[in-house]
Amino acid sequence: MHNWNESLIRGLWFFTASFAVLSVFFIIFFLLKDAVPLFQTVSVQDFIFGNTWNPTGATPSYGVFPLIVDTLLVTLGAMVIAVPLGLGSAVYLSELAPSKVKAVAKPAIELLAGIPSVVYGFFGLIVLTDWLRVAFDVPSGESWLAGSILLGVMALPTIISVSEDALNMVPQMFREGSLALGSTHWQTISRVLIPSALSGITAAVILGMGRVIGETMAVIMVCGNAAIIPEPITNVLSPVRTLTGTLGIEMGEVAVGSLHYSALFAVAVVLLVITLIVNLSAVWILKHIRSKQSAEVPKRHFISPNNEWFWPAVRAVLAVLIVLAVFFLFPPLPAAVLMVFLAALIYAKDRISPNISQKIAFVLLRGAIAVVLCVLGIILLYIIVNGLPALSWEFLTQPPRDLGRAGGIFPAIVGTLYLVAGAISFALPIGIGAAIYLSEYTRGSSRITGIIRTGIDLLNGMPSIVFGLFGFAFLVIFLNFGVSLLAGMITLGLMVLPTIIRTTEESLKSVPTSVREGSLALGSTKWQTIRRVVLPPALPGILTGTILSIGRAAGETAPILFTAAVFSKRFLPTSVYEPVMALPYHLFILATNVPGATKNQYGTALVLLILVVAIYAVAIWIRNRYQKNVRW
Amino acid sequence: MQSRKLRFLIAPVLALLVLATLFTGCVNNSGETTPAPTTAPAAQSISVTGSTTVLPIAEKAAESYMDANSYADIQVSGGGSGAGVQSVGEGTADIGMASRDLKDSEKEKYPDLVQYVVARDGISVIVNPAIPVTSITLEQIKAIYTGEITNWKELGGPDMEIVVIGRDSSSGTREFFSERVMENTDYVRTQLEKNSNGAVQQTVAQTPGAIGYVGLGYIDSSVKALKIDVDGTLIEPSIATVTSGDYPISRMLNMFTKGEASGLSKDYIDYILSPEGQKIVEEEGFVSV
Repeated sequence: MHNWNESLIRGLWFFTASFAVLSVFFIIFFLLKDAVPLFQTVSVQDFIFGNTWNPTGATPSYGVFPLIVDTLLVTLGAMVIAVPLGLGSAVYLSELAPSKVKAVAKPAIELLAGIPSVVYGFFGLIVLTDWLRVAFDVPSGESWLAGSILLGVMALPTIISVSEDALNMVPQMFREGSLALGSTHWQTISRVLIPSALSGITAAVILGMGRVIGETMAVIMVCGNAAIIPEPITNVLSPVRTLTGTLGIEMGEVAVGSLHYSALFAVAVVLLVITLIVNLSAVWILKHIRSKQSAEVPKRHFISPNNEWFWPAVRAVLAVLIVLAVFFLFPPLPAAVLMVFLAALIYAKDRISPNISQKIAFVLLRGAIAVVLCVLGIILLYIIVNGLPALSWEFLTQPPRDLGRAGGIFPAIVGTLYLVAGAISFALPIGIGAAIYLSEYTRGSSRITGIIRTGIDLLNGMPSIVFGLFGFAFLVIFLNFGVSLLAGMITLGLMVLPTIIRTTEESLKSVPTSVREGSLALGSTKWQTIRRVVLPPALPGILTGTILSIGRAAGETAPILFTAAVFSKRFLPTSVYEPVMALPYHLFILATNVPGATKNQYGTALVLLILVVAIYAVAIWIRNRYQKNVRW
Repeated sequence: MQSRKLRFLIAPVLALLVLATLFTGCVNNSGETTPAPTTAPAAQSISVTGSTTVLPIAEKAAESYMDANSYADIQVSGGGSGAGVQSVGEGTADIGMASRDLKDSEKEKYPDLVQYVVARDGISVIVNPAIPVTSITLEQIKAIYTGEITNWKELGGPDMEIVVIGRDSSSGTREFFSERVMENTDYVRTQLEKNSNGAVQQTVAQTPGAIGYVGLGYIDSSVKALKIDVDGTLIEPSIATVTSGDYPISRMLNMFTKGEASGLSKDYIDYILSPEGQKIVEEEGFVSV
């Protein structure tokens, strides 16, 4: 009897775990299915390397080469901005920050991750592009630079928190050993800590890159969307158009089934391939450190034959990259001056006293975190100051009137809550089940668990607009749900599934094996052990993951753009087959489609911001509270 | 032994169950979307989706129709002309809106769509108020959008680079502009593309050297609408000039239903075509039919 129950439960968890793999397979299948008709007319080479994207010209051309180049350029620019700032802030938070500063700055930076991308886009559209236009005295500020700055800021929280974790994971004895040998604090950081955490930091950068490549809404609003390769290629003020941006602006109006429609799905496939490469390399690197840390850390030698060629090689590659980047980004003369300056710096580096170089370095680190916090402050302040006057009881409780210029946003608030509730009730059982299977029922790595894990990682790295496209092709059209609450819930649920699985698995793993063994030794079955012994202490962790997912689902626009959201709906939905209003979509429409709605635009942005940030704040609070209380 | 066998059985059974629920969902759905009989004053809902150009009319009309008839729930969403035609053709929406006529491929795919012309719209060419130019010929517009003219001084304005702003390539407005003004030549590749009339208007308003094209309804004090020079006569984009047929760039705005409109869809379209509805059309800056 017991046996039967146990296998039923195991089978159930196995099924939920397989779900992620099935979804990945389904998503790829449906994107390919709709992309294939294009290649009956256009060859793959013409598509990938074609220089013109003009699907509605007299002679339509479907060349995505400029889009790919622009996507990579915007990503590169964002990384140039985000990596130094992010790494500097992470080092500061992990090594230098007084505990009081850390207590404030760390959650603040995590909140930065909670700001919905459409709010960033909104800020970029109104403030950033205008500022760039005036500052650089160019005809229009909508440019590669605007996109890179905005996306760089968006990637910062990921880069900071993951690299800070990596720095924290460096064993304390490394620090002590280095300091005991008489190195200064900065020498310890730069020569011991950062090299030891390098693979973790690399993973942080790649994860941040994944976020940047997959971002849609902010890009549409600030990049100008001209499908050209900048001329010359270093012209950061040239307008550009990314793969995601193309999907975001053209998907809505395209005739379903046309060649243009297929071409957009083919663009999605290209985007998917790029993000898969980025995310698989992140997974690979993380796996690499994990195995290193578990097996090698206790007796790791710094001067191993492996390292002797490895570090000089890394340095040489970095130096070549920097030189290339400098000559790429600047005209020849300033580039040469900069190179001389850099060379002087490197020459001087080992000749100035360690104390002075430590001072300089620490000033730079403090500068990095100051810049990050300032940016956060400016964005928040701008939206709060402009949004507060719009907030009123009526605004929160009335349906919109006059195209959203007057009236309130009540149906949008409720619609967002419905969408989130549905997404979570869809994703939570499956996510927790999959995590239980992965953490409790698999020992080591069999082929099947390997596949499941890869599936989850791939799902995690998919750009949100790809989920939107899949939701449209599969749920809205193929299953004929129509643009509906149900389609939106499932799309958002799929999107947050990997987050739930990851966080649940992490918290299950943090429960020591000895506790499980004790329970099993007392004669309980596996499932009794999981239910009564393992799950209760893991609950806060699961809760944090769930709340973070709620925040992400509430703030996303791209997945509901074609699946669930309507511009206006006076009554609340009565069944899941009805469409809904949603806050991020409402803001997107007010900001781009309705003239003269400025006041309510800011009001909606503020309400969305408060909602998402409040959700994140609760998650951070729960985590901090239980992190302190639970000790094994 | 037994448990192992079961494990292999369980997964497919569960998979079937889930699929079954999904497909029951479908059946229920198609059952529910059939409109309730019109005689009953019970709550009825229809969804209207498509072109962002037609959206203000549909939305305003829906608001005042719902104020008068409390049983009605009219849901309006944007998405674009293509999405509108597709949704009504597939039956996922009751009314589709399009700022263009049906394409041949669409006619072929959905032969039973019925067209209702609800309004006319003039496409006006707008510039930033900082530009002193007040009129322009169709040839000059074309030259700007093909990239032959790149500076305002060539049109008697200041020495300032022209920032060309257009719509995304699947927009109905762009398609109309391509046919009527561009005569299907290609746009200059540095054109900034926006996904809505509002976005074009906003960008033109905050960019000093910008030129763009939007529907009449989007003209306000933040931008300047250029007069079109037709053989020396300057024609201002306005409701009067579009109605008289003098303004050279105007088009029809459409709604589509699958088969003849019935029930609430019919009442709603009739309301838009009534004098009261056409008043809304004019209030939103379009031209009544």
